[in-house]
Amino acid sequence: MSDDYAKAIPVPGPESLPFWEGAKNHQLMIQKCSDCEHHWFPPSTVCTGCGSRNIEWVASSGKGTVFSFVVFHRLYHKGWDGAIPYAVAVIELEEGARMLSNVIGVPVDEVKCDMPVEVIFEDATSDLSLPKFKPV
Amino acid sequence: MIEPSTHLRDKYALVGAGHSRLGKVPGVSAQGLLEEAMLNALDDAGLTTQDVDGLICRGPDEIYTFHQVMGERLGIDASFSTTLTNGGASQVMGVALAAMAIDAGMASCVLVGYGRDNWSRVHANKENHMRGSGRPQQMYGMEFGPEFGYYGAIAAHGFGAQRHMHDYGTTREQFGAISVAFRNHALNNPDAVMKKPLTMGDYLGGRMIVEPFSLFDCSLQTDAAGAVVVTSAERAKDLRQKPVLIKGFGTGNNISGWFNGNNMTHTGAIQSGKTAYAMAGVGPEDIDYAQIYDCFTYMVLVQLEDYGFCKKGEGGEFVASGALALDGAMPTNTSGGQLSEAHVEGMLQVVEGVRQLQGIYGPERQVPKAEIGLVSGHGGNTVCESTLILGAA
Ligand SMILES: [Zn+2]
Repeated sequence: MSDDYAKAIPVPGPESLPFWEGAKNHQLMIQKCSDCEHHWFPPSTVCTGCGSRNIEWVASSGKGTVFSFVVFHRLYHKGWDGAIPYAVAVIELEEGARMLSNVIGVPVDEVKCDMPVEVIFEDATSDLSLPKFKPV
Repeated sequence: MIEPSTHLRDKYALVGAGHSRLGKVPGVSAQGLLEEAMLNALDDAGLTTQDVDGLICRGPDEIYTFHQVMGERLGIDASFSTTLTNGGASQVMGVALAAMAIDAGMASCVLVGYGRDNWSRVHANKENHMRGSGRPQQMYGMEFGPEFGYYGAIAAHGFGAQRHMHDYGTTREQFGAISVAFRNHALNNPDAVMKKPLTMGDYLGGRMIVEPFSLFDCSLQTDAAGAVVVTSAERAKDLRQKPVLIKGFGTGNNISGWFNGNNMTHTGAIQSGKTAYAMAGVGPEDIDYAQIYDCFTYMVLVQLEDYGFCKKGEGGEFVASGALALDGAMPTNTSGGQLSEAHVEGMLQVVEGVRQLQGIYGPERQVPKAEIGLVSGHGGNTVCESTLILGAA
Protein backbone atom coordinates (compact mmCIF):
# COMPACT_ATOMS: atom_id res chain seq x y z
CA MET A 1 0.00 0.00 0.00
CA SER A 2 1.38 3.38 -0.98
CA ASP A 3 0.16 6.96 -0.98
CA ASP A 4 2.47 8.03 -3.78
CA TYR A 5 0.20 6.03 -6.08
CA ALA A 6 0.73 7.32 -9.63
CA LYS A 7 -2.17 5.71 -11.52
CA ALA A 8 -5.55 7.41 -11.96
CA ILE A 9 -7.72 7.54 -8.86
CA PRO A 10 -11.38 6.85 -9.70
CA VAL A 11 -13.89 9.58 -8.92
CA PRO A 12 -17.04 7.73 -7.78
CA GLY A 13 -20.43 8.98 -8.88
CA PRO A 14 -23.23 9.10 -6.27
CA GLU A 15 -24.73 5.82 -7.53
CA SER A 16 -21.45 3.91 -7.43
CA LEU A 17 -20.37 4.60 -3.84
CA PRO A 18 -21.55 1.16 -2.60
CA PHE A 19 -19.27 -0.45 -5.18
CA TRP A 20 -16.19 1.43 -3.97
CA GLU A 21 -17.08 1.02 -0.29
CA GLY A 22 -17.48 -2.72 -0.92
CA ALA A 23 -14.11 -2.88 -2.68
CA LYS A 24 -12.42 -1.38 0.40
CA ASN A 25 -13.80 -4.36 2.33
CA HIS A 26 -12.71 -6.71 -0.45
CA GLN A 27 -16.26 -7.39 -1.52
CA LEU A 28 -17.29 -7.15 -5.17
CA MET A 29 -20.63 -5.36 -5.06
CA ILE A 30 -23.01 -5.43 -8.03
CA GLN A 31 -26.71 -4.68 -8.40
CA LYS A 32 -29.51 -7.22 -8.50
CA CYS A 33 -33.19 -6.94 -9.36
CA SER A 34 -35.48 -8.23 -6.62
CA ASP A 35 -38.19 -8.91 -9.21
CA CYS A 36 -36.38 -10.71 -12.04
CA GLU A 37 -33.01 -11.74 -10.48
CA HIS A 38 -31.07 -9.90 -13.21
CA HIS A 39 -27.59 -8.68 -12.16
CA TRP A 40 -25.83 -5.75 -13.80
CA PHE A 41 -22.97 -3.29 -13.73
CA PRO A 42 -22.17 -0.34 -13.93
CA PRO A 43 -24.63 1.02 -11.35
CA SER A 44 -27.96 2.65 -12.10
CA THR A 45 -31.26 3.16 -10.29
CA VAL A 46 -33.32 0.79 -12.42
CA CYS A 47 -33.06 -2.87 -13.42
CA THR A 48 -31.47 -3.00 -16.88
CA GLY A 49 -33.20 -6.34 -17.49
CA CYS A 50 -36.85 -5.52 -16.74
CA GLY A 51 -37.12 -1.86 -15.78
CA SER A 52 -38.04 -2.51 -12.14
CA ARG A 53 -37.15 0.03 -9.44
CA ASN A 54 -37.07 -2.80 -6.89
CA ILE A 55 -33.31 -3.29 -6.79
CA GLU A 56 -30.55 -4.05 -4.29
CA TRP A 57 -26.78 -4.28 -3.93
CA VAL A 58 -25.37 -7.80 -3.47
CA ALA A 59 -21.90 -9.29 -3.20
CA SER A 60 -20.78 -11.19 -6.30
CA SER A 61 -19.01 -14.54 -5.88
CA GLY A 62 -16.12 -12.86 -7.70
CA LYS A 63 -15.91 -15.78 -10.12
CA GLY A 64 -16.26 -15.31 -13.85
CA THR A 65 -14.61 -15.51 -17.24
CA VAL A 66 -12.71 -13.17 -19.55
CA PHE A 67 -15.30 -12.05 -22.11
CA SER A 68 -12.72 -10.11 -24.08
CA PHE A 69 -9.39 -8.37 -23.48
CA VAL A 70 -6.73 -6.14 -24.96
CA VAL A 71 -3.03 -5.79 -24.17
CA PHE A 72 -1.58 -2.30 -23.83
CA HIS A 73 1.87 -2.00 -25.39
CA ARG A 74 1.82 1.80 -25.54
CA LEU A 75 1.98 4.11 -22.54
CA TYR A 76 -1.09 6.36 -22.23
CA HIS A 77 -0.59 7.46 -18.59
CA LYS A 78 2.64 7.89 -16.65
CA GLY A 79 1.28 5.77 -13.78
CA TRP A 80 1.65 2.70 -15.98
CA ASP A 81 5.31 3.32 -16.79
CA GLY A 82 7.09 0.02 -16.15
CA ALA A 83 3.83 -1.97 -16.15
CA ILE A 84 3.68 -2.46 -19.94
CA PRO A 85 2.50 -4.80 -21.40
CA TYR A 86 -0.64 -5.13 -19.28
CA ALA A 87 -4.03 -6.73 -19.96
CA VAL A 88 -7.33 -4.86 -19.68
CA ALA A 89 -10.36 -7.12 -19.83
CA VAL A 90 -14.14 -7.23 -19.84
CA ILE A 91 -14.96 -9.76 -17.14
CA GLU A 92 -18.24 -11.64 -17.23
CA LEU A 93 -19.15 -12.53 -13.65
CA GLU A 94 -21.00 -15.78 -13.07
CA GLU A 95 -24.07 -13.75 -12.01
CA GLY A 96 -24.12 -12.33 -15.57
CA ALA A 97 -22.90 -8.76 -15.02
CA ARG A 98 -19.85 -7.58 -16.98
CA MET A 99 -17.20 -5.18 -15.75
CA LEU A 100 -13.90 -3.69 -16.83
CA SER A 101 -10.77 -4.71 -14.95
CA ASN A 102 -7.24 -6.06 -15.35
CA VAL A 103 -6.18 -9.69 -15.63
CA ILE A 104 -3.09 -10.12 -13.45
CA GLY A 105 -0.89 -12.95 -12.21
CA VAL A 106 -0.38 -14.44 -15.68
CA PRO A 107 1.79 -13.44 -18.67
CA VAL A 108 -0.29 -11.32 -21.06
CA ASP A 109 0.20 -13.80 -23.91
CA GLU A 110 -1.58 -16.46 -21.86
CA VAL A 111 -4.78 -14.43 -21.41
CA LYS A 112 -7.62 -15.88 -23.51
CA CYS A 113 -11.31 -15.20 -24.07
CA ASP A 114 -13.57 -17.38 -21.89
CA MET A 115 -10.69 -18.13 -19.49
CA PRO A 116 -11.99 -18.70 -15.91
CA VAL A 117 -10.89 -16.01 -13.46
CA GLU A 118 -11.65 -14.85 -9.93
CA VAL A 119 -11.42 -11.52 -8.18
CA ILE A 120 -8.40 -10.44 -6.18
CA PHE A 121 -8.36 -7.04 -4.48
CA GLU A 122 -5.38 -4.77 -4.92
CA ASP A 123 -4.97 -2.21 -2.13
CA ALA A 124 -3.84 0.77 -4.16
CA THR A 125 -3.88 3.46 -1.46
CA SER A 126 -5.09 3.61 2.13
CA ASP A 127 -8.46 4.67 0.73
CA LEU A 128 -8.74 2.69 -2.51
CA SER A 129 -8.91 -1.01 -3.36
CA LEU A 130 -9.32 -2.17 -6.93
CA PRO A 131 -10.97 -5.46 -7.92
CA LYS A 132 -8.68 -7.23 -10.37
CA PHE A 133 -8.90 -10.77 -11.73
CA LYS A 134 -6.49 -13.71 -11.82
CA PRO A 135 -6.81 -17.08 -13.53
CA VAL A 136 -8.44 -19.79 -11.41
CA MET B 1 -42.07 -2.65 -34.16
CA ILE B 2 -40.67 -0.33 -36.84
CA GLU B 3 -42.85 0.04 -39.92
CA PRO B 4 -40.74 0.42 -43.08
CA SER B 5 -40.98 3.98 -44.40
CA THR B 6 -40.59 4.62 -48.11
CA HIS B 7 -42.09 8.05 -48.74
CA LEU B 8 -38.71 9.81 -48.44
CA ARG B 9 -37.06 7.54 -51.03
CA ASP B 10 -35.43 9.57 -53.85
CA LYS B 11 -37.18 12.75 -52.69
CA TYR B 12 -34.07 14.57 -51.42
CA ALA B 13 -30.63 14.92 -52.91
CA LEU B 14 -27.02 15.70 -52.15
CA VAL B 15 -26.15 18.50 -54.53
CA GLY B 16 -22.65 19.45 -53.45
CA ALA B 17 -19.74 17.97 -51.54
CA GLY B 18 -16.41 19.35 -50.43
CA HIS B 19 -13.57 19.10 -47.99
CA SER B 20 -10.89 21.33 -46.58
CA ARG B 21 -7.15 20.81 -46.66
CA LEU B 22 -6.44 17.41 -45.10
CA GLY B 23 -3.76 16.31 -42.69
CA LYS B 24 -1.51 18.65 -40.73
CA VAL B 25 -3.04 22.10 -41.02
CA PRO B 26 -1.51 24.04 -38.14
CA GLY B 27 -2.82 27.49 -37.29
CA VAL B 28 -6.38 26.85 -38.48
CA SER B 29 -9.22 26.06 -36.06
CA ALA B 30 -11.77 23.30 -36.56
CA GLN B 31 -14.25 26.09 -37.31
CA GLY B 32 -11.98 27.57 -39.96
CA LEU B 33 -11.49 24.18 -41.58
CA LEU B 34 -15.25 23.56 -41.55
CA GLU B 35 -15.87 26.93 -43.25
CA GLU B 36 -13.38 25.93 -45.92
CA ALA B 37 -15.21 22.61 -46.49
CA MET B 38 -18.67 24.22 -46.41
CA LEU B 39 -17.73 26.86 -48.96
CA ASN B 40 -16.22 24.18 -51.20
CA ALA B 41 -19.44 22.14 -50.93
CA LEU B 42 -21.57 25.20 -51.77
CA ASP B 43 -19.29 26.03 -54.75
CA ASP B 44 -19.69 22.43 -55.93
CA ALA B 45 -23.47 22.95 -55.91
CA GLY B 46 -23.35 26.45 -57.40
CA LEU B 47 -24.87 27.90 -54.23
CA THR B 48 -23.75 30.42 -51.57
CA THR B 49 -24.26 30.85 -47.85
CA GLN B 50 -27.25 33.06 -48.72
CA ASP B 51 -29.10 30.01 -50.08
CA VAL B 52 -28.73 28.06 -46.83
CA ASP B 53 -31.56 27.90 -44.26
CA GLY B 54 -30.51 24.79 -42.37
CA LEU B 55 -27.26 23.96 -40.59
CA ILE B 56 -26.42 20.60 -39.02
CA CYS B 57 -22.88 20.28 -37.86
CA ARG B 58 -20.40 19.04 -35.35
CA GLY B 59 -16.98 20.14 -34.23
CA PRO B 60 -14.79 19.55 -31.19
CA ASP B 61 -17.19 18.01 -28.68
CA GLU B 62 -16.37 20.38 -25.86
CA ILE B 63 -17.58 23.44 -27.81
CA TYR B 64 -21.11 24.22 -26.62
CA THR B 65 -23.81 24.47 -29.35
CA PHE B 66 -21.30 24.30 -32.18
CA HIS B 67 -23.91 25.12 -34.85
CA GLN B 68 -24.36 28.56 -33.25
CA VAL B 69 -20.62 29.16 -33.47
CA MET B 70 -20.70 28.24 -37.15
CA GLY B 71 -23.88 30.21 -37.90
CA GLU B 72 -22.31 33.35 -36.49
CA ARG B 73 -19.13 32.84 -38.49
CA LEU B 74 -21.04 32.14 -41.73
CA GLY B 75 -23.69 34.86 -41.24
CA ILE B 76 -26.58 32.44 -41.47
CA ASP B 77 -29.91 32.55 -39.66
CA ALA B 78 -31.34 29.05 -39.88
CA SER B 79 -34.94 27.87 -39.75
CA PHE B 80 -33.45 24.56 -38.59
CA SER B 81 -30.08 23.98 -36.97
CA THR B 82 -28.47 21.72 -34.41
CA THR B 83 -25.26 20.11 -33.24
CA LEU B 84 -25.12 16.32 -33.18
CA THR B 85 -23.49 14.22 -30.51
CA ASN B 86 -23.48 10.64 -31.80
CA GLY B 87 -19.73 10.70 -32.27
CA GLY B 88 -18.62 9.27 -35.61
CA ALA B 89 -22.21 8.29 -36.43
CA SER B 90 -23.25 11.96 -36.34
CA GLN B 91 -22.10 12.94 -39.80
CA VAL B 92 -24.09 10.35 -41.76
CA MET B 93 -27.02 10.94 -39.43
CA GLY B 94 -26.77 14.67 -40.20
CA VAL B 95 -27.64 13.97 -43.83
CA ALA B 96 -30.63 11.85 -42.77
CA LEU B 97 -31.76 14.58 -40.38
CA ALA B 98 -31.44 17.19 -43.14
CA ALA B 99 -33.81 15.19 -45.37
CA MET B 100 -36.22 14.79 -42.45
CA ALA B 101 -36.12 18.52 -41.67
CA ILE B 102 -36.80 19.50 -45.28
CA ASP B 103 -39.61 16.94 -45.47
CA ALA B 104 -41.14 18.40 -42.30
CA GLY B 105 -41.16 21.86 -43.88
CA MET B 106 -38.53 23.16 -41.48
CA ALA B 107 -35.83 24.02 -44.02
CA SER B 108 -35.19 23.92 -47.77
CA CYS B 109 -31.42 23.82 -48.18
CA VAL B 110 -29.30 22.30 -45.42
CA LEU B 111 -25.53 22.39 -44.98
CA VAL B 112 -24.17 19.37 -43.13
CA GLY B 113 -20.58 19.26 -41.98
CA TYR B 114 -17.96 18.31 -39.45
CA GLY B 115 -14.61 19.87 -38.71
CA ARG B 116 -11.77 18.88 -36.41
CA ASP B 117 -8.24 20.02 -35.56
CA ASN B 118 -7.22 16.71 -34.10
CA TRP B 119 -3.66 16.48 -35.39
CA SER B 120 -2.89 19.94 -34.04
CA ARG B 121 -4.46 19.18 -30.66
CA VAL B 122 -2.71 15.85 -30.20
CA HIS B 123 0.60 17.49 -31.04
CA ALA B 124 -0.05 20.64 -29.00
CA ASN B 125 1.53 19.32 -25.80
CA LYS B 126 3.14 16.27 -24.27
CA GLU B 127 0.11 15.33 -22.18
CA ASN B 128 -2.29 15.20 -25.15
CA HIS B 129 0.30 13.30 -27.15
CA MET B 130 0.69 10.66 -24.47
CA ARG B 131 -3.08 10.23 -24.20
CA GLY B 132 -3.34 10.17 -28.01
CA SER B 133 -6.37 12.42 -27.75
CA GLY B 134 -7.36 15.99 -28.47
CA ARG B 135 -10.32 15.82 -26.12
CA PRO B 136 -10.04 17.09 -22.54
CA GLN B 137 -9.63 14.20 -20.09
CA GLN B 138 -12.75 15.40 -18.22
CA MET B 139 -14.89 14.33 -21.20
CA TYR B 140 -14.08 10.71 -20.47
CA GLY B 141 -15.43 8.67 -17.57
CA MET B 142 -13.66 9.21 -14.26
CA GLU B 143 -14.33 5.68 -12.94
CA PHE B 144 -14.54 2.14 -14.35
CA GLY B 145 -11.80 2.92 -16.88
CA PRO B 146 -8.71 5.00 -16.17
CA GLU B 147 -7.94 3.27 -12.87
CA PHE B 148 -7.44 0.06 -14.86
CA GLY B 149 -5.22 1.74 -17.43
CA TYR B 150 -8.06 1.72 -19.97
CA TYR B 151 -7.47 4.59 -22.37
CA GLY B 152 -8.54 5.48 -25.86
CA ALA B 153 -11.07 4.31 -28.42
CA ILE B 154 -8.49 1.76 -29.56
CA ALA B 155 -9.04 -0.43 -26.51
CA ALA B 156 -12.83 -0.48 -26.79
CA HIS B 157 -12.64 -1.46 -30.46
CA GLY B 158 -9.88 -3.93 -29.63
CA PHE B 159 -12.27 -5.83 -27.33
CA GLY B 160 -14.59 -6.33 -30.29
CA ALA B 161 -11.75 -7.46 -32.54
CA GLN B 162 -10.46 -9.91 -29.93
CA ARG B 163 -13.90 -11.44 -29.36
CA HIS B 164 -14.49 -11.72 -33.12
CA MET B 165 -11.12 -13.49 -33.49
CA HIS B 166 -12.13 -15.86 -30.69
CA ASP B 167 -15.64 -16.59 -32.01
CA TYR B 168 -14.90 -16.82 -35.74
CA GLY B 169 -11.17 -17.44 -36.13
CA THR B 170 -10.55 -14.01 -37.66
CA THR B 171 -6.82 -13.22 -38.00
CA ARG B 172 -4.54 -10.20 -37.92
CA GLU B 173 -3.58 -10.90 -41.55
CA GLN B 174 -7.26 -10.42 -42.42
CA PHE B 175 -7.29 -7.06 -40.63
CA GLY B 176 -4.13 -6.29 -42.59
CA ALA B 177 -5.91 -6.94 -45.89
CA ILE B 178 -8.16 -3.98 -45.05
CA SER B 179 -5.23 -1.63 -44.35
CA VAL B 180 -3.48 -2.68 -47.55
CA ALA B 181 -6.63 -2.32 -49.69
CA PHE B 182 -7.36 1.19 -48.40
CA ARG B 183 -3.75 2.28 -48.86
CA ASN B 184 -3.96 1.15 -52.48
CA HIS B 185 -7.04 3.35 -52.91
CA ALA B 186 -5.26 6.29 -51.26
CA LEU B 187 -2.43 6.08 -53.76
CA ASN B 188 -4.99 7.07 -56.43
CA ASN B 189 -6.25 10.02 -54.37
CA PRO B 190 -4.01 13.08 -54.68
CA ASP B 191 -5.57 14.61 -51.54
CA ALA B 192 -4.87 11.56 -49.33
CA VAL B 193 -2.44 12.05 -46.48
CA MET B 194 -0.71 8.68 -46.92
CA LYS B 195 1.42 8.58 -50.06
CA LYS B 196 3.55 5.45 -49.69
CA PRO B 197 2.50 1.89 -50.61
CA LEU B 198 1.76 -0.48 -47.72
CA THR B 199 2.50 -4.21 -47.99
CA MET B 200 1.26 -7.05 -45.80
CA GLY B 201 4.84 -7.29 -44.53
CA ASP B 202 4.75 -3.62 -43.50
CA TYR B 203 1.41 -4.21 -41.77
CA LEU B 204 2.61 -7.25 -39.82
CA GLY B 205 5.82 -5.40 -38.87
CA GLY B 206 3.90 -2.41 -37.50
CA ARG B 207 4.51 -1.71 -33.83
CA MET B 208 1.87 -3.07 -31.49
CA ILE B 209 -0.20 -0.33 -29.83
CA VAL B 210 -3.08 -2.03 -28.04
CA GLU B 211 -3.18 -5.69 -29.03
CA PRO B 212 -4.74 -6.96 -31.25
CA PHE B 213 -4.23 -3.58 -32.99
CA SER B 214 -0.92 -2.37 -34.30
CA LEU B 215 -0.07 0.98 -35.88
CA PHE B 216 -1.65 0.15 -39.25
CA ASP B 217 -4.99 -0.91 -37.74
CA CYS B 218 -5.50 2.67 -36.55
CA SER B 219 -6.97 5.62 -38.41
CA LEU B 220 -5.03 8.85 -38.86
CA GLN B 221 -4.86 11.93 -36.65
CA THR B 222 -6.14 14.67 -38.90
CA ASP B 223 -6.88 18.37 -39.13
CA ALA B 224 -9.68 18.52 -41.69
CA ALA B 225 -13.35 19.05 -42.42
CA GLY B 226 -15.97 17.87 -44.87
CA ALA B 227 -19.40 19.14 -45.83
CA VAL B 228 -22.34 18.40 -48.11
CA VAL B 229 -25.47 20.26 -49.23
CA VAL B 230 -28.93 18.67 -49.05
CA THR B 231 -32.02 19.96 -50.84
CA SER B 232 -35.04 18.56 -52.69
CA ALA B 233 -34.53 16.31 -55.70
CA GLU B 234 -36.77 18.73 -57.60
CA ARG B 235 -34.57 21.75 -56.90
CA ALA B 236 -31.45 19.66 -57.51
CA LYS B 237 -32.29 19.44 -61.21
CA ASP B 238 -31.40 23.15 -61.66
CA LEU B 239 -28.07 23.02 -59.81
CA ARG B 240 -24.52 22.63 -61.05
CA GLN B 241 -23.79 18.96 -60.32
CA LYS B 242 -25.51 15.78 -61.30
CA PRO B 243 -27.72 15.22 -58.21
CA VAL B 244 -27.14 12.27 -55.93
CA LEU B 245 -30.41 10.93 -54.55
CA ILE B 246 -30.94 9.90 -50.95
CA LYS B 247 -32.66 6.55 -51.40
CA GLY B 248 -32.73 5.49 -47.79
CA PHE B 249 -31.21 5.93 -44.38
CA GLY B 250 -31.25 4.32 -40.99
CA THR B 251 -29.74 4.35 -37.54
CA GLY B 252 -29.09 1.66 -34.97
CA ASN B 253 -27.70 2.57 -31.59
CA ASN B 254 -26.77 -0.24 -29.21
CA ILE B 255 -26.66 2.20 -26.34
CA SER B 256 -27.19 -0.50 -23.73
CA GLY B 257 -23.44 -0.67 -24.19
CA TRP B 258 -20.56 -2.18 -26.08
CA PHE B 259 -20.04 -4.67 -23.25
CA ASN B 260 -23.67 -5.81 -23.34
CA GLY B 261 -24.89 -9.02 -25.01
CA ASN B 262 -23.12 -9.66 -28.31
CA ASN B 263 -22.92 -5.98 -29.29
CA MET B 264 -19.16 -6.22 -29.87
CA THR B 265 -19.62 -8.65 -32.76
CA HIS B 266 -23.17 -7.77 -33.88
CA THR B 267 -23.16 -3.99 -34.20
CA GLY B 268 -25.74 -1.25 -34.65
CA ALA B 269 -25.15 -1.65 -38.40
CA ILE B 270 -27.55 -4.62 -38.38
CA GLN B 271 -30.54 -2.45 -37.40
CA SER B 272 -29.28 0.63 -39.22
CA GLY B 273 -28.83 -1.30 -42.46
CA LYS B 274 -32.20 -3.00 -42.17
CA THR B 275 -33.98 0.35 -41.85
CA ALA B 276 -31.99 1.93 -44.67
CA TYR B 277 -32.44 -1.01 -47.07
CA ALA B 278 -36.19 -1.04 -46.42
CA MET B 279 -36.51 2.68 -47.11
CA ALA B 280 -34.40 2.41 -50.28
CA GLY B 281 -36.14 -0.75 -51.50
CA VAL B 282 -32.79 -2.44 -52.12
CA GLY B 283 -30.64 -5.12 -50.50
CA PRO B 284 -26.92 -5.70 -50.11
CA GLU B 285 -26.81 -7.41 -53.52
CA ASP B 286 -27.81 -4.08 -55.15
CA ILE B 287 -24.95 -2.05 -53.62
CA ASP B 288 -22.12 -1.15 -56.05
CA TYR B 289 -19.69 0.33 -53.53
CA ALA B 290 -19.43 1.03 -49.81
CA GLN B 291 -17.83 3.84 -47.81
CA ILE B 292 -17.47 2.26 -44.38
CA TYR B 293 -16.46 4.04 -41.18
CA ASP B 294 -12.93 2.80 -40.52
CA CYS B 295 -11.67 4.08 -37.19
CA PHE B 296 -9.96 0.69 -36.81
CA THR B 297 -9.66 -2.19 -39.28
CA TYR B 298 -11.96 -4.48 -37.32
CA MET B 299 -14.90 -2.08 -37.62
CA VAL B 300 -14.77 -2.40 -41.41
CA LEU B 301 -14.84 -6.17 -41.23
CA VAL B 302 -17.74 -6.38 -38.80
CA GLN B 303 -19.80 -3.72 -40.58
CA LEU B 304 -19.36 -5.52 -43.92
CA GLU B 305 -20.86 -8.58 -42.23
CA ASP B 306 -23.62 -6.60 -40.53
CA TYR B 307 -24.65 -4.91 -43.80
CA GLY B 308 -24.98 -8.36 -45.36
CA PHE B 309 -22.11 -8.19 -47.88
CA CYS B 310 -20.97 -11.53 -46.49
CA LYS B 311 -22.18 -13.89 -43.77
CA LYS B 312 -21.58 -13.31 -40.05
CA GLY B 313 -18.15 -14.63 -39.19
CA GLU B 314 -16.92 -14.65 -42.79
CA GLY B 315 -15.75 -11.03 -42.90
CA GLY B 316 -12.12 -12.10 -42.59
CA GLU B 317 -12.23 -14.34 -45.65
CA PHE B 318 -14.24 -11.71 -47.51
CA VAL B 319 -11.73 -8.89 -47.05
CA ALA B 320 -8.77 -11.23 -47.72
CA SER B 321 -10.32 -12.26 -51.05
CA GLY B 322 -9.62 -8.85 -52.57
CA ALA B 323 -13.27 -7.78 -52.23
CA LEU B 324 -12.41 -4.19 -51.25
CA ALA B 325 -10.49 -3.32 -54.44
CA LEU B 326 -12.03 -1.21 -57.21
CA ASP B 327 -12.68 -4.38 -59.24
CA GLY B 328 -13.55 -6.48 -56.17
CA ALA B 329 -16.88 -7.81 -54.94
CA MET B 330 -17.49 -4.66 -52.84
CA PRO B 331 -15.23 -1.70 -53.66
CA THR B 332 -14.82 -0.05 -50.27
CA ASN B 333 -13.38 3.27 -49.08
CA THR B 334 -12.32 4.29 -52.56
CA SER B 335 -10.67 7.49 -51.29
CA GLY B 336 -8.40 5.58 -48.88
CA GLY B 337 -10.71 5.99 -45.90
CA GLN B 338 -9.78 7.16 -42.45
CA LEU B 339 -6.91 4.68 -42.39
CA SER B 340 -5.13 6.30 -45.35
CA GLU B 341 -6.91 9.42 -46.67
CA ALA B 342 -7.82 11.43 -43.55
CA HIS B 343 -9.94 10.88 -40.45
CA VAL B 344 -12.94 13.22 -40.38
CA GLU B 345 -15.26 10.91 -38.44
CA GLY B 346 -17.28 9.69 -41.42
CA MET B 347 -17.73 13.04 -43.15
CA LEU B 348 -15.27 12.20 -45.91
CA GLN B 349 -17.06 8.88 -46.39
CA VAL B 350 -20.17 10.92 -47.25
CA VAL B 351 -18.17 13.19 -49.57
CA GLU B 352 -16.63 10.21 -51.40
CA GLY B 353 -20.01 8.46 -51.55
CA VAL B 354 -21.44 11.51 -53.30
CA ARG B 355 -18.51 11.99 -55.69
CA GLN B 356 -18.63 8.38 -56.89
CA LEU B 357 -22.20 9.04 -58.11
CA GLN B 358 -21.35 12.47 -59.51
CA GLY B 359 -19.07 10.38 -61.72
CA ILE B 360 -16.20 12.86 -61.56
CA TYR B 361 -13.27 10.47 -61.34
CA GLY B 362 -11.01 8.85 -63.89
CA PRO B 363 -10.88 5.06 -64.23
CA GLU B 364 -8.18 4.71 -61.53
CA ARG B 365 -10.69 5.78 -58.86
CA GLN B 366 -14.18 5.53 -60.37
CA VAL B 367 -16.23 2.46 -59.43
CA PRO B 368 -17.37 1.13 -62.83
CA LYS B 369 -21.10 1.57 -63.48
CA ALA B 370 -21.77 2.83 -59.96
CA GLU B 371 -25.48 3.41 -59.43
CA ILE B 372 -26.11 2.67 -55.75
CA GLY B 373 -23.72 3.17 -52.86
CA LEU B 374 -23.81 2.65 -49.11
CA VAL B 375 -22.19 5.02 -46.61
CA SER B 376 -21.80 4.16 -42.95
CA GLY B 377 -21.05 6.18 -39.85
CA HIS B 378 -20.07 4.62 -36.55
CA GLY B 379 -19.09 6.04 -33.21
CA GLY B 380 -20.23 7.42 -29.90
CA ASN B 381 -18.09 5.08 -27.81
CA THR B 382 -18.51 2.36 -30.43
CA VAL B 383 -22.27 1.76 -30.25
CA CYS B 384 -23.96 4.26 -32.59
CA GLU B 385 -24.40 3.54 -36.28
CA SER B 386 -25.94 5.52 -39.14
CA THR B 387 -26.41 4.45 -42.75
CA LEU B 388 -27.10 6.22 -46.02
CA ILE B 389 -28.01 4.59 -49.30
CA LEU B 390 -27.34 6.86 -52.24
CA GLY B 391 -28.44 6.50 -55.82
CA ALA B 392 -27.65 8.08 -59.17
CA ALA B 393 -30.41 10.37 -60.44
ZN1 LIG C 1 -35.48 -6.89 -13.29
